[in-house]
Amino acid sequence: MRWRRLALIGAALLATACVEELAAPGECPDYCPSNQLTIVDTVLGNNISRDSAFRGYVLPNQSAVMLAANLPGVDGRPIFRMNGPGSRSRINPNDTTTGAIRSSDSARLQLYIIRRDSAATNLTLRFFRLPKTIDSTTTFADVNPFTDSLVRRPLNIDTLLAQPNRKDTVTGDSAVVDTINHRLVLSLKFDSTAARYIAADSGSVAYGIRISADSLASIAIGKGTLGPTLTWYIRLDSSNVRVPRTLGTFSAAFASTVRNPEAPPIDSTLAVGGVPSARSLLRVAFPKFIRDSSQIIRATLILVPAVPARGALIDSFTVEVHTVLVDLGAKSPIAVDATRTDTTMIHIGATDTVRIEVTNLLQFWAADSTQPTSLVLRARDEAQSFAEVRFYPSIAAALERPKLEVTFVRRFPFGAR
Amino acid sequence: MRRIAWLVIIVCAAQAAMWGTAAAQDSQFGVRGLGTPGRYESVRARSTGGAFTPFDPLSPLTEAPLADLAALTATAMEGTSYRQADVGGTTTSLRSTRFPLLNVAGRVAPRLAVAAGFTTYLDKSWDVQLRDSSQLRGALERYTDELTSDGSVADLRLAAASRLTRRIAIGAGIHLLSGSTRQTAERRFDDTTFHTVQQLAEARYSGFGVSGSILIGIAPGLSLSGWVRSDNRLRAKVADTTSALTDLPRGVGGGVLLAPSPSVKIGGSVAWRSWSRAGPGAFDTWSWAGGAEFGTGRMPLRLGVRGGQLPFGPGTQAPTEIAAAAGTGRTFAQGRASMDVGIERLERRGTGLTERVWTVLLGITVRP
Repeated sequence: MRWRRLALIGAALLATACVEELAAPGECPDYCPSNQLTIVDTVLGNNISRDSAFRGYVLPNQSAVMLAANLPGVDGRPIFRMNGPGSRSRINPNDTTTGAIRSSDSARLQLYIIRRDSAATNLTLRFFRLPKTIDSTTTFADVNPFTDSLVRRPLNIDTLLAQPNRKDTVTGDSAVVDTINHRLVLSLKFDSTAARYIAADSGSVAYGIRISADSLASIAIGKGTLGPTLTWYIRLDSSNVRVPRTLGTFSAAFASTVRNPEAPPIDSTLAVGGVPSARSLLRVAFPKFIRDSSQIIRATLILVPAVPARGALIDSFTVEVHTVLVDLGAKSPIAVDATRTDTTMIHIGATDTVRIEVTNLLQFWAADSTQPTSLVLRARDEAQSFAEVRFYPSIAAALERPKLEVTFVRRFPFGAR
Repeated sequence: MRRIAWLVIIVCAAQAAMWGTAAAQDSQFGVRGLGTPGRYESVRARSTGGAFTPFDPLSPLTEAPLADLAALTATAMEGTSYRQADVGGTTTSLRSTRFPLLNVAGRVAPRLAVAAGFTTYLDKSWDVQLRDSSQLRGALERYTDELTSDGSVADLRLAAASRLTRRIAIGAGIHLLSGSTRQTAERRFDDTTFHTVQQLAEARYSGFGVSGSILIGIAPGLSLSGWVRSDNRLRAKVADTTSALTDLPRGVGGGVLLAPSPSVKIGGSVAWRSWSRAGPGAFDTWSWAGGAEFGTGRMPLRLGVRGGQLPFGPGTQAPTEIAAAAGTGRTFAQGRASMDVGIERLERRGTGLTERVWTVLLGITVRP
């Protein structure tokens, strides 16, 4: 009897248990809500104004790479300096007795080529000795022609890579291809002529690199942890006997790039990229009828290149669009978080209209009306390529000026019958 | 007996835990209109097709029967619907559980009884999905829309009734209409370059109504009941702004109850409501019901049929509905608690849409 009651109650519970499945296909207009979502697509052709370009955000010596290029419009050369080991060094590692460094036997320079066009043939590097006084103010004119002659035989990358085990037994050079990180690690032997130990300079040396290739040559050489290093093989004075010793590895104390000609001056166009890096600021008059009473579902920034982006094909680069935290003109701090950044790829030589999806940026403006409605265009990897693109500004003809195409949804009339 | 009383309490508690919003039975016919009107019936009355509703003190349709309530009584009900909507050649199975009635009534003076409670005035829960496309930026963009409304308008009633003479009782009530719906509108594009549209709002509803009723004992075992009701306007507000103001119906109805013996009761009722006042797409409605209850005490058998019209639908004619219902009840704890169960099969027909619904009803009544 008890079980029968429990079964009855269980059946009643099951039959009336809370369930909810209300989704049904609509048969419009008879069995649909009387109101529907309304989508509007509009091109804001005159809402971008007071746009400007500025240069100098990332200087060559601040860049993450050194650039070497031999292009029709630009000759770029990496320059770097290794501070010397001093005038004395320990004779034995376990003994504090030091001896004077008398001369060098040789040195080994390690370079990371972190970007190159594998299709560029006969890519050749030439090394020049530079005065140790090079610094961030050094210009191409200061080091051209490189003050000393060539310090060693030019290095043909193709020839080195063609050697067994990528080692040249004659020159002592070797290469390692890092296919995972797409890097080429060069280990180059400098003889005592190329790596001269000058006591007056405490062993400090500076070099410059010039490249050439059969086609457009453009490479990037690492800096910092991937920067050039020099290992010295020297002779120490030990009781008037010159004994060979290996000094530690020295990293570049200064690394930069000089270029000729200098970066073209900023004009009325909207420049992005290059070295030193250029950014463009666009101010948007964001219509209230979009901001206040609609939901933006797509927004596209349309830019027309004034000239084709110049450079080697390998130099195609990514342009980012950022909102700014406050509009201070050239010094506007940009919002760098991913939610307020949009990107597009700029292909060298292309003149196609550039379209950048900026939906999240406009949604951000719509959500917070206190935010300045300005956009900054910049290269994602600033000063890491000579490539530069220039877009028509807002003062250009109607078809060429920057535009925003915005697709938005009007507020749904909730509550209406 | 105590065990049974405990089981009743367990069932009540379990169901209360599972109960969702207070609402009546949903219908696709209400999507384009104001919603789906509630039924103002307890489980007992609904098991007779609604025929006993004008005479049932625990159904909030009329007030006069409250005059015969002997003790403080509270009742609540739950209904679970299994609905098949056949529209445009597509059949969709839908389910919902609702809690459409809570009523407490009792005598406060020798000739005065009062009641308070709520029932569903309009159910406004639906979820419509649409597949369509539109031309955007020079390309045909396909999308899926989903428009939903979740909520209802409740009728909060305060009623009083008095037996004037041995044959005549009268009652009156005021009705505060109050409720809200959480509405969403969503559009998902196949091309994800277009962000998903998601808008939501909470619409609040308010209105007011009055009603009056009379119960007349014509002869032993024969009673007549009549009622009238007038509601003013339903005000919809979104973000404190009135978004719609809709005239609500006036209604009139009545019923007859014949009890030739203590174990047999036969009744019928009819009602008319002027829903056409609500605007285009709304119709005045007639509804009727006939039913009977056989047996007393432990497990009476209740049967009934009803039919009528629905207030909202496309075209020029009101959709129709017809239903058959059956049920029974059981009293526990020396008459202090009772459980009523019922089942109803309903069919609604309108232009291009047919709905078939099974509804399982469960009612709990307590007389402390």
